[in-house]
Formats: sequence, C-alpha cells, structure tokens
Amino acid sequence: MKLMKLFTMAAFVVGIALPCYAEKIVMEGSTTVLPIAQKAAEVFMQKNTDADISVRGGGSGVGIASIIDGTCDIGNSSRPIKDSELEKAATNGKDIRAHVIAMDGIAVVVNPANNLNALSKKQIKDIYTGAISNWSELGGADQKIVVISRDTSSGTFEAFAELALDKAKVRPDALMQASNQAVASTVARTPGAIGYVGLGYISGDVKAVAVNGIIPSRETVLNNKYPIGRPLFMYTNGEPKGLVKELLDFIKSAEGQKLVETEGFVGLK
Amino acid sequence: MKRLLGIMALALFVASFGLSQVYAGEVDILLQKLVEKGILTPGEAQQVGTETKEQVKKEISQGKSSSLPAWVQNVKLKGDLRLRYQTKHDKAANDYEKDTNIGRVRMRLGLEGKINEKLIAGIGIATGSGDPRSTNISFGGYNSKKTVVLDYAYAKYSALPWFTLVGGKMLLNDTLWEPTDLIWDTDITPEGAVIQLSKNINPNLALSMNLGALIVDTDTSSDNDAPMAYIIQPQASYKFNDDVSLKGALSFQSFHNVKGHACSKYASGSNTGITKIGSADATGNYVYDYQMLNPALELKVMQPFKALGLNVETLKLFGEYVNNLDVSKGASGFSLGFQFGHDKVEKWGDWQLRYIYAMLEKDSVLDVLPDSDRYGGATGMRSHEGSLTYGLGKNTSLGFDVYRSWSIIGAKAPETLIQADWNMKF
Repeated sequence: MKLMKLFTMAAFVVGIALPCYAEKIVMEGSTTVLPIAQKAAEVFMQKNTDADISVRGGGSGVGIASIIDGTCDIGNSSRPIKDSELEKAATNGKDIRAHVIAMDGIAVVVNPANNLNALSKKQIKDIYTGAISNWSELGGADQKIVVISRDTSSGTFEAFAELALDKAKVRPDALMQASNQAVASTVARTPGAIGYVGLGYISGDVKAVAVNGIIPSRETVLNNKYPIGRPLFMYTNGEPKGLVKELLDFIKSAEGQKLVETEGFVGLK
Repeated sequence: MKRLLGIMALALFVASFGLSQVYAGEVDILLQKLVEKGILTPGEAQQVGTETKEQVKKEISQGKSSSLPAWVQNVKLKGDLRLRYQTKHDKAANDYEKDTNIGRVRMRLGLEGKINEKLIAGIGIATGSGDPRSTNISFGGYNSKKTVVLDYAYAKYSALPWFTLVGGKMLLNDTLWEPTDLIWDTDITPEGAVIQLSKNINPNLALSMNLGALIVDTDTSSDNDAPMAYIIQPQASYKFNDDVSLKGALSFQSFHNVKGHACSKYASGSNTGITKIGSADATGNYVYDYQMLNPALELKVMQPFKALGLNVETLKLFGEYVNNLDVSKGASGFSLGFQFGHDKVEKWGDWQLRYIYAMLEKDSVLDVLPDSDRYGGATGMRSHEGSLTYGLGKNTSLGFDVYRSWSIIGAKAPETLIQADWNMKF
C-alpha cells in the first residue's frame, strides 16, 4: 500500500513539474531564417516587456523536428516540410501549420565591368562546379572567372546550392565569404568575379544578371518567376495562440515585413 | 474591403472543392487573377498560395484527403513471419548428452486502430501455446494444426503531449525500456496499466518516466492478496552531437505477494522453491519476493569507424545490472554487450552483428521473465550470445543466433543453442 502511495505521489510530482518548462517562446531552426527571427524577437520584446523569446539556429531539419517533438513553439525553416515529417507529425498527434513570413531571393551578381547581362541556370551551375572557367566560353571577354561563394555553413549557401546547383559541389578554388556584404564587396572590386547575394544586397557596385531570362526583383521573386527564390517558413503546432500568435502577427505586419527587408529578404507587404 | 472579398472568395473556392481537389496550378491561376485585378498584393498571393499548398500536403499525409474509407485510414495492419531451424546440444550433470533439432514457426499479426485523435487500441494475435515468453510453435505432431493465441490487446490514451496512459495486455516497450533481455524476454506482453511521462527539455536532452502497476497472477482460491508488480523507471536520453547519444534508465521493479505463491507452469524452475524436471510443468511456491533494482545504459555512436574509412552505420555499447533487494545472497545479475552494423536490417545488404554476455544469480530475477532462449530462461546461469542478421531484400532477412550457456549452481551442464531464422515483415 505504501508503494502505491509512493507511485501516486511520484506521478503527481512529475505531472506538476514537467509542464512548467513551457513558459517562454522558443524559436528554433533554419540559419537562413535566424536573422529575421532574431530581429523580430528583439523588436517584439521591446514592445512587449513580458515576452521572453529564445531564438536558436540548428538548421531547418532541427526546427521542424523540434516542432514535431514539442521542444519549441515556432520551428523556422527555409524549406517546406517533407511528407515524411508530416507523417511523423501526424503519428505524434501534431497539427503542423505553415506560416510564410518572407521570400528568399538570391541574385547572381558580377563585376560591373562584365558585359554579360544574363545567364542560364545551367551556365551558373557550370561556373560554380568548374565546368566553365573563362567568361569567353559564355560569349564574354577572355577573362578567368573568379568564383565567390558564401561559406558552407550559411543558409544562403544552402539555398543557392539547392536552387541553382541542384546540390552539386562548389569548385574547391571558390573564394568563400562570411557574409552577403563580403560577397558583394569582393565581386565589386574583382574583375571577372561572380557571386550571389540576397536580393537586399544588390547595389550599384555590382551587376545583377537575369537568370533564365528573368531579372531578379521583388516582384519576380514574389510571383515565383525568378528561379532562385523560395519562401521562408515558421511552423507552429496547431493554430497559434497567445504570445506566439502575437509574435507571428507582428512578423507578418507591415512593421515586421520592414524588418524582413532590412535583413536582406523579400517582404510580403 | 476589396482585398478581404478576394481572400474570402479564394477561401470559398478552396472550401467548396475540398483542399485535395484543388490542384496547385488552379490555385496559382486564381491567385494570379486576384493580383492582376489588384485585389491581392503579390506578397499576399505568395503567402496564401504557399500556405494552401502546405495545408493540402498535410491533409494528404494525414489521410483526410484519401479516397479510402475512414476505417481503413484509421487502422494499421502489421505482422511478421519467422521460420526457424534450431539445434541444441545439452550436456546434463551426469554427462548425459542430448542433441535436439526442431523446426519452428512464429506468426504475429497486429492491428492498431485510431479511435480518436488521442486514443489508440491495439490487438495482436500470434502463434503460441500460452507460454508468456514464446510465440514460436514447433513443427511436428503429424502435421497437427497449430494454435494461435491473443498476444496483446491494449488501449493507449495520449491525454497530453507529455502524458500517455496504456492499459490492457501491453507491448513490453510500452511498459519499460531495456537494452538487453536480461530481465524481460521481449516476447512478454505485460498485463495492467502504465503511465508514460515524457518531456524533451531541449533538442539534446529528453526525460521520461514509466510508472506501471502490473497484474502478475490472480488468486481467487484464498483470501491472500494476488501477486502484483509495480514498476517505476525514470529514463534520460542525451545527444552529445549528431553522432553520439547516450540513454540511461534506473528501474525499480517490485513483485509483491509472490512470496508463498505458486509458480507459473511456464517458470524455468530455477528460483528458490521452484522445481522443473525435464519438459514437465514447473511446480512449487516462491520463497522470496522479487524487488529488482535495475540500472541500464546504452551508448550509440553513428559511423564509429569513419576515421578508418569503414562504412559502419552504428555502434552500440550497452549493459544493465539487476539486484533483488529481497534476497541477501544470489541476488544479482548483469549483461554487457555491443552491436554494430545497421541499426535496423531493412533491405538487401544491411547487416547487424550483436554480442551479449549475461549472468543471473539464482534469485536475481523471477524465473518466468528472462529470455527463454538463454539457458531455457533460467536464472543461476552465465551465457554468451552472438547473432548476425543479414538483409535479403526489403523487409526480409536471415538471422543466425548462437547461445553458449551453463549453470553457475552445481554442475556446469552446458548448453549450446543455434538458431537459423528467415524473417519476413509486413
């Protein structure tokens, strides 16, 4: 009988103690979405002093796994959820809801002195994988192509590798840069250079080329015509409620979308 | 207002046709028209279009959009068939040696039905004679028909993401976690109720606890309290990185009112007070209760030999210890082992190698629980077990299992058991 009491007490204590963890908002996942999440959380917390938002990276897979496992409130992802993940979520009794919070458009940029204005996706892939190494092979000047890429840990690299290179490996002699700004600056000062940056980083110092005949712009990314673009997601379990809903509403608002644009992404407003 | 009407028109369109019947292309065309007419901005169209596609995907995965009847969508059927050839060499205490060769079959068929979003019912039948530790049945008896028994029948209620209640004749892994079958034969389906509590603290750390009240036997012939087992097992899993993880558990398994109670006829006859001669039923009354303290640990390493250029999917190192607190002497046991190769053998060329060294003293564990292949499921023994499983194709594999066991009480009476299995899952 004593043992039964012990069991009941243990169940009661654990039952009370375990749910106490879910007090603050935890956002986790894609490193591409990370700057948006961080900026939005920072501004939201300034407006709502009661809010305690923790933002973590880890990658899209981690974000989606966490929302399925219930270890975060918002799972950030730079790719749509996979069928296998949805099946797992259904098995776990989770009702995963997608929220599109921005678009990621990646512009291919060349040094302004380059006379080429357009490239096909195949040509871009050939340049980045080393099959083409001189601009003359594409009808340009007889000049060696200097390939600039983002470092492999960046979300932009991941997106570019998937959308433009079909996941092929970037040539080993590519110059890896740690930020969009570094890529743009290197391309601007290096004749024969090619690089890729978020749409927000196009400036007069570099020339954005059309890809498959489509000029990268806010409009062509939003209407899915530009081939190197993708939606960015925040996933929740069920319809968002309370502070999570307030945060998502803020990110989707005109003010939130302005923050999205300042981080170099394409806003939806 | 115009914009609101546009979104409402789209929602009505989607709702009227059912999400699954609205092709992505049709949604895109409609959205494009709404953008052209200035009803939606390109951003809103992108948002609505993408979120609609995600919703369709989700509903398809949940089976809501399937044309199959609802009962088919809510029921999962699974099963397996195992054909076994087994050879055993016994050397009895009087040096009498015996070789036996038998063919066996195991058939299991299970059905899991989703009653509602939180409640699942599972029913399983299997070949067998009623032995709680075996669903095998031997060929022979002049082609006699083989018996099929109820293997499990349980209900699982997931009231909250961290709280699940399981009741009935349950699957063992719903009752507790064990890295080896030192204490519980994996064929046992315990009876009673278990509360499962679980919480992922962060992406690397998961905590859980099982609390169980199990019915061991009933006693309607006297006023005595019937034997019951109470189990508490806190567990923790920690992921050091993508390749290395550790799982540990500490269980207390208290078998009450067993002392003085008659044994099961399926007992191995190795506990104090119990006798079993040859293939006859075990007889006798237990002298002790069995209050087993059981720590268990498993370390899992993905691609452990990557540095050597060897492609081995996983390496697991595991072990557990048991001590019966009701007995002062002859009360402990342990197992240590490793497994490497593929975590699951699912297709052609997958392989898995496993080794376990186990020891159980006479009254460490109730003798109706341990793996029945390891020295007949008896206590008071030591044993080596080595097994190799090789994938023959999708969901089918060949398995070879070798046990070399001997008694640690009196004469060694060693036993060598070799099993060759053809496994098929569906």
